[in-house]
Amino acid sequence: MPDLLALVLQQSINGVYLGCLYVMVALGLTLIYGVLNQINFAHADFVTAGAFTAFFVATRLATKLLGLPDTAGYLLSIVLAFGAGALLGLLINAAVFAPLRERGDELRPLIATIGVSVLLENGQLELFGPIPYQFDSPFTRETIRAGRIFFTQQTLLVIGVTVAAIALLYAFLRLTYTGKALRAVAQDRETAGLMGINPGLLIGLTIVISSALAGMAGALLGPVLVLTPFAGASVIVKAFAIVIIGGFGNLEGTIIAGLLVGIIEAFTVQYLGSGLIDLVVFALLLVMLALRPTGLIAERKEENV
Amino acid sequence: MSALLRARELRKSFGGVRAVQGVSLEVPQGAIFAVIGPNGAGKSTLLNLLSGVYQPDSGALDFDGRSLAKLPAHRRVRLGIARTFQKIRLFKQLSVLENVLAGFHIHHDTPFWKYVVLGATGRFHDEARELLEFVGLGARAAERAGALSYGQQRMLEIARSLATRPRLFMLDEPAAGLNAAEVDFLLERLERIGARGTTLIVVEHNMDLVMNVAQRVFVMDYGEPLFEGTPREVQSNSRVVSAYLGGEFA
Amino acid sequence: MLAALPWVLHTPYWRGILVVCAMNVMLALSLNLVLGYTGQLNLGQSAFFGIGAYVSTILVKTYHWNFWLAALAAMGAAGLLGLALAAFAVRLRGHYLAIASLGFAVITYQVLLNWESVTEGVRGIYGILPPRGFGSTVALFYLVAGLAFLVYLVLGNLVRSPVGETLRSIREDEVSAASIGINPARWKAFAFGVGAMIGGLAGCFYPGFVGTLVPDAFNIVESFTMMAMVIVGGMGTMIGPVIGTIVLTFLPELLRGFGELRLMIYGLALTLVVLFMPGGIVQAWNALRARLA
Repeated sequence: MPDLLALVLQQSINGVYLGCLYVMVALGLTLIYGVLNQINFAHADFVTAGAFTAFFVATRLATKLLGLPDTAGYLLSIVLAFGAGALLGLLINAAVFAPLRERGDELRPLIATIGVSVLLENGQLELFGPIPYQFDSPFTRETIRAGRIFFTQQTLLVIGVTVAAIALLYAFLRLTYTGKALRAVAQDRETAGLMGINPGLLIGLTIVISSALAGMAGALLGPVLVLTPFAGASVIVKAFAIVIIGGFGNLEGTIIAGLLVGIIEAFTVQYLGSGLIDLVVFALLLVMLALRPTGLIAERKEENV
Repeated sequence: MSALLRARELRKSFGGVRAVQGVSLEVPQGAIFAVIGPNGAGKSTLLNLLSGVYQPDSGALDFDGRSLAKLPAHRRVRLGIARTFQKIRLFKQLSVLENVLAGFHIHHDTPFWKYVVLGATGRFHDEARELLEFVGLGARAAERAGALSYGQQRMLEIARSLATRPRLFMLDEPAAGLNAAEVDFLLERLERIGARGTTLIVVEHNMDLVMNVAQRVFVMDYGEPLFEGTPREVQSNSRVVSAYLGGEFA
Repeated sequence: MLAALPWVLHTPYWRGILVVCAMNVMLALSLNLVLGYTGQLNLGQSAFFGIGAYVSTILVKTYHWNFWLAALAAMGAAGLLGLALAAFAVRLRGHYLAIASLGFAVITYQVLLNWESVTEGVRGIYGILPPRGFGSTVALFYLVAGLAFLVYLVLGNLVRSPVGETLRSIREDEVSAASIGINPARWKAFAFGVGAMIGGLAGCFYPGFVGTLVPDAFNIVESFTMMAMVIVGGMGTMIGPVIGTIVLTFLPELLRGFGELRLMIYGLALTLVVLFMPGGIVQAWNALRARLA
């Protein structure tokens, strides 16, 4: 096949791979915003925590303790990272977010999430130290070839998990009672409360799901990241950009935006370093905020005076 | 009496909702002018158009012969237009006195370096206290604004707007949420303000309230003008009554 | 009493901490103007700190400017950048502004990192000297602390004046502030500009103190740290940020015996304060005084 086409296809696959990773991180963020109208600045640190959990499960627990093969170990680590994220989310929600819910203030919960973020970062710094960990996925070892396009099993795994996660999330939100209740709370908390739905419980559930997704994203991201306690920071920057471009609380928008950012990055990373990618993405973000703060796909709402 | 405020064919839509359609009115100088209509009639939107919170999709708006087109809300205040809000918007964390003092913003003329270097303070404390007395809050100057009762907060908002020394003062449903005694006090104060020469526009949902105070009444329904006249004429107009009651009334 | 400090804490290490503390006080006061008094959620203050450091250093080292002129220029540059951020603040509120300001800080950081021809990027600039006549740490402390004190006085006068009322009105309710004639855009620009200039001023002294200049010192983590100092101390008051800075600068040092846990002080303090005492130490102090009265 012609060179250019091969190049485009190759980068597209890389782009989709990256995009899926970003989508996994951004999904939790946008979910929390949709239901709570809040931004969780600590989200990145849930991702990092997930990555570290996955690392230790895959390299120590699964292989050394349980004697499982590498591949199973990695898959297990993804599941456990999901669980760890959920647990962490549960804890933080109970300790920090729930108590602040009643006050109706916009500033305080936001700053609380910043506080939690700093706390988690330094906590993980204390536990794991500042030196990067080398987290290799066993699925990256072999390259698969289709014509002139190269990818690895990891690529397929990531894309597969992302698609599955999105599908399950949609199924949950559209088909189950709890999911519908969650959407009700997202639209109008008071009325939902009047209809016998317990908003506090559902909000807690949202946070748990979001953190679980973040943890799982961390496991998938492990091999790609420089794994230090501050690893989340490099990703959260893009995650925010994605959520804003796609529209806060807008699932479809977030997915599209995530894939878009991934593809743009794949195509331009050869010409610009990754640092400059950050710059470009954020410049794009600022332009978006200046022109259309509510995102590409969201609706406009006039402020009610 | 010459017209202080003149609006011609104002229109404003939000998405598919036509909030204000083709409203024209003239508010004479020194008058107490009421805008009434059932809920959802577009009265608040009209007030927002007049005060500059929204810009009209089309139509003209003049104040004292000067066009208000494209002029943002804060600039209209300098021309002498003040307003209060339907949902009370006070500076809740500041004290009662500080709220009123803030209202004197446009009257400050000290260059700010004097504040910084010499520690000069504002000059309007006395006038602010007079305004507080006028609305019956003189004794509560030092309290946090958020701690006042609803009725008192409403009066504080009025005092704060009066601090701008407006020629045209617009109030959005000032009587909402007030008990009977508070409403009487409010209406009496409004009469006094009008007597001093300030032109008033009062948006009210409750017909009876404004009948005692207003000299001219403008009725809206579904964003459109329905009728305009003296309070008497409005009260006896069958279309107005049916708009409120939803039926024929002989 | 302040003047005696360098003699009480007389090891070079502690004197260094004093200088850092004075710089942080200036930074906290600058952020407090924007965050505490004007109510704008600004997470980008680290950008102004960095611009101040780089502009002044480059002017002195590469173009041989006089330090004080360079500092003025750096303040100006930071101020202009502050106005740019203010342009976003005019259109955005709450968390949108938080993210925009974060993006602002990230972009600035990336520019400092990648514009290697000018900033030397990761390699850093070496051999930076403190301003002439202030070579010793003690002298530098007096200088920075003196300036911080000046900033405290000036800003204090400003917030007690009608300008302060205006800023607080914007913080409380922007729409009704406009209804009494306040131009939110203009005053936000003012707050951001002044806040940025003071942040830039603090930045001028940092490279001279440390000796080398790398972009990593102006990571967005710095913004969070500054925010913690302002909020823990008590935002929206003048003395709050000062107290918060002192507490958060010295406490980790005093807790050195407890290992790395001391770093968690920032996150812990911020979270606890936001949860239980949003007015910070100042609020706690006032509540205590009211109880004892």
